[in-house]
Amino acid sequence: MITRRGFLTGALVVAVPIPGGTAPAGTELAPTVFVRVDRRGRVVATVPRPDTGQGVRTMAAVLVAEELAIGVDDVTLEQAPGDTAAYGSQAVANSTSSRVIAQPLRSAAATARCLLIAAAAARWAVPAEECTARDGRVRHPSHRPLPYRDLVVAAAAIDPATVPVTLTPPEKWRLIGRTRAGRADARDIVTGRARYGAESAPDGSLIAVVARPPWIGARPETVDDTAALAVPDVVAVVRLDPPAAGQGGIAVVARSMHAALRGRAALTVTWSGGTPAADSRVWLDELEAALPAVPGTPDLQRVVRLPLLAHAPMEPMNATAHVTGSAVKVWAPVQDPGGLRNQLGATAQVFPTLAGGGFGRRIETDAVMEAIACSRAVGQPVSVRWTRDDDTRHDSYRPMSVHRLTATLDATGMPTGRTHQVVTWPLTVSPPFANPIVVRASGDHFPYTVPGTVSVTLRPAPLRTGFWRAVYAGQFGYAEECFLSEIARRGGHDQVEFRRRLLPADSRLRRVLDAASARAGTGDLGVACHLDYGSAIAVIARADPGARRVLRVTAAVDVGIPVHPSGVKAQVEGAILDAVSTVLGAQVTVRDGAVVQSSFRDYAWARITDCPEIEVIVVPSEAPIGGLGELAFPPAAAAIASALAAGAPVTGMPVGVPVG
Amino acid sequence: MRVPYRLHVNGRRQVVDVPGDTPLLWALREDLGLTGPRYGCGVGACGACVSLIDGTAQRPCVQTVEDSRGSRITTIEGLSEHGDHPVQRAWLELDVAQCGYCQPGQIMTVVALLAENPDPTDTEIDEALRDNVCRCGTYPRIRAAVRRAVELTR
Repeated sequence: MITRRGFLTGALVVAVPIPGGTAPAGTELAPTVFVRVDRRGRVVATVPRPDTGQGVRTMAAVLVAEELAIGVDDVTLEQAPGDTAAYGSQAVANSTSSRVIAQPLRSAAATARCLLIAAAAARWAVPAEECTARDGRVRHPSHRPLPYRDLVVAAAAIDPATVPVTLTPPEKWRLIGRTRAGRADARDIVTGRARYGAESAPDGSLIAVVARPPWIGARPETVDDTAALAVPDVVAVVRLDPPAAGQGGIAVVARSMHAALRGRAALTVTWSGGTPAADSRVWLDELEAALPAVPGTPDLQRVVRLPLLAHAPMEPMNATAHVTGSAVKVWAPVQDPGGLRNQLGATAQVFPTLAGGGFGRRIETDAVMEAIACSRAVGQPVSVRWTRDDDTRHDSYRPMSVHRLTATLDATGMPTGRTHQVVTWPLTVSPPFANPIVVRASGDHFPYTVPGTVSVTLRPAPLRTGFWRAVYAGQFGYAEECFLSEIARRGGHDQVEFRRRLLPADSRLRRVLDAASARAGTGDLGVACHLDYGSAIAVIARADPGARRVLRVTAAVDVGIPVHPSGVKAQVEGAILDAVSTVLGAQVTVRDGAVVQSSFRDYAWARITDCPEIEVIVVPSEAPIGGLGELAFPPAAAAIASALAAGAPVTGMPVGVPVG
Repeated sequence: MRVPYRLHVNGRRQVVDVPGDTPLLWALREDLGLTGPRYGCGVGACGACVSLIDGTAQRPCVQTVEDSRGSRITTIEGLSEHGDHPVQRAWLELDVAQCGYCQPGQIMTVVALLAENPDPTDTEIDEALRDNVCRCGTYPRIRAAVRRAVELTR
C-alpha cells in the first residue's frame, strides 16, 4: 500500500493497490485498468467515477498528465462502465471521488512512465536513473529522445515487479495544484457536442414519459389507454409497478418525445391510496412536537425549522435501457454505475454518461428501472425522459428537520456547554440512514471546543427522501452555526474573533478562518466554518438585508493538495450559489398531498441577478487530498443566513419567509 | 393534415416531417440531430435550449415548428465552425462550465446580447441572463466570461 505520506512525498512505490488487478496483457502498455499507452503513444485514462460537474474527469487528466510528463489535453479520457470488481466503488458520493481515485490513477500513470523509461534505458544500455520523461518522450543526455510510441511494445514486455516505481515529487509538479487547464470536455460543452443521457441513447431508441401519481403514494387503479394508443407514433403503454420498476406509474412509449407527451396527456387514469391530504406545514409542526424536553436550564435556546429541498439538476432524470433476453444494457447519467451494475447483475452492462448535475439525486436508480421495464415490455431500446415537472414533483427530497439548540454561557457570553436536539426523517432511499447513529454521523461535525451533546430522533418519512449535497451536515451545520452567530451577537462579540477563540490554535480551521477574514472586509458579517471529508473551510458573507441581497461571499478552503485549482474554486462557488438559493427562497412545499413546485419558475433557484461577488481562497496545504463537493454548502448557507437576518436570530431556511 | 415543414437551420434548408404543433426543440433534437439545445424544462423557464431565431435569443421548447417556418434558426452547433466564436473562446478561457448542461443556452443568450449591445454594463449582463438558470452556480464565471468576450470581440 502507498501510505498517505508516501503519496504526498512521492516515496518509492512497491505495490499499487488496484481492485481487480492488472489489465490484460497485450501490445499496449497498460499497468492497470486505469491507464494505458497505446502503440501510437496515446495516453488513455479510464475514469472510474462519472462526472456530474464535480470535475473528476479533469482531475484524472491532471494526475495522469503529471505522472506521464505530458499536457493535460494530451490525455484521452474514457469513462469506465459499471464494474466494481475492476474499478472499486464508483459512487459519486460523500465527496470521496478525489480522495479514493487519485492515488490509483496517479500510481498507474507513474508505473507506465517508469516502464517506458526502463525500456529506453535498456535500448540505450544506460542506467534508468539517468533518463527522464518529458513532453511524451524519454530523454537521456547522450541520446536522441525517444517518443513513447517507440517504447510501448518493449515497455509492455517488462515485468512491472522488476521496475521500481516513483511518483513525481511535489517540488517537480508542473500540473498538480498549478495547472491553468480548464475542465475536461469543455470544448464539447461550448460547442453543444457533449453527450449527456438523452444524447447517449442508441439510434432508434423509443422515448417514454411516465404518468406519475398526482399525490404522494397514489397507485393507479384503472387505466384507459385507448386515446393514448390512438396518438400517432405512440407504440405502447406500460404499467410500471414499484419498486421493481422505479417509483411507479404508467409509461407511454413512442417514437418521439412529442408523441409520448401527447400520449401521456391522453391517458385516463384513476388513482387511489396514498396521502391526498398531506401538507408540509403539518409535517414540520409534527417534527417540532416530537422534540425532546429542553435539557437542563440553558441560558439561551433556539428552534430552527428546515424545509424540503429538491435536487433539480439541469438535466432532468432520464435513462436508456435495452433488454434482450437476460442481457441488459443501460446508458444513463448515474452517480453510481458500479452500484447499479451490482443491483442489475453480472450480465448487465452499465455505461455512465456525462451528467447534467447530480447533487445526490442520481445515486438512485428509479429512472433506470423504468427504462428497463419499458424496454422489456416493447423489446426495443427505450429512453425514459422525465419532464421538469416530473423531476421537481417526484424527487427524493432532502428531509425536513427541526433543531433545538441550547447553550450555557459564561459571564462574558462565551458558550460553556451546548445541546443540539434534531428531529428529522430517515433517507428512504438508503436503509442505513434509518439508523439515528448513521444520521448523526452524517450530520454532526461540530468543530468548536464547546462540550455538548447531540441527539437524533427519527420520525417516519411521509415521502421519498434522499441524499442531497452535504446530506445531514447541511441541516446540522446550518442550525449550529446560525445559533453560534446568535450567541456571539448576544455577547457583543465579533463573529470571527468569537470563533477563533473556540478553535484550537494551529488548527486547519483557524488558518482558513484567518485567510477568509483577511479578505472579507468589515461590517455585519455572517461567518461559519466546516470541517468534513478531510477538508476545512471558512465562509464569510456580507448582505443587504433590506434589499434581500447577498453582496459578497469570501471562502477560504484547505482541501489538501488542490489537484485542479480552478475546479476546486468551482465547487466552492457552486455550493455558495446553492446556499444563496436555499436561504433566499428555494424550498419545496406540499399541499393537498402533492408537491406545489413544478419548475424553476416556482422552485426559486438563484439567478445571476442574485449572485454575490464571490472570492475563493485556496489555502496552501500539505494535507492529503480532501473531499470538496459537499464541503462548502453547510457553512455558506449559515453565513449567508446570518448576514441576511440583520441581527435577528435565524429560525429557519429560507430566511424571512414561512418555512414549509 | 401532416405536411413536411421547411426550416432554415444553421444556414441550411431542412425538412422535418412532424406535426406542426411539435415544439421546435424536439424537431431540432430528434429530427435534425442538433442536440446542443438542451431540454431543461419545456416551459421556457430555464433557458437551456436558447437558440437564435431571426437573430434574437429564443426558447425553442415553447415555439412550434409551424411558427418557425421562414425563420432563420441558429443553434449552438451553427455558432462557429471550430468552437472559436469569441463567446465560446471566453467560456473556455474562464473555465466556466461545471456540468455544462445549461451552457449552450447561456452562450447563445450572450451572443444575442453582444450582437445588440457590444459593451454591456454589469447590470445589463445580469438582466440579459436573468432567465437562464445554472444549477451548478457558474454565474460568477459567466459574468467574467461575458466581459472577456467583449474584449475578444473588439
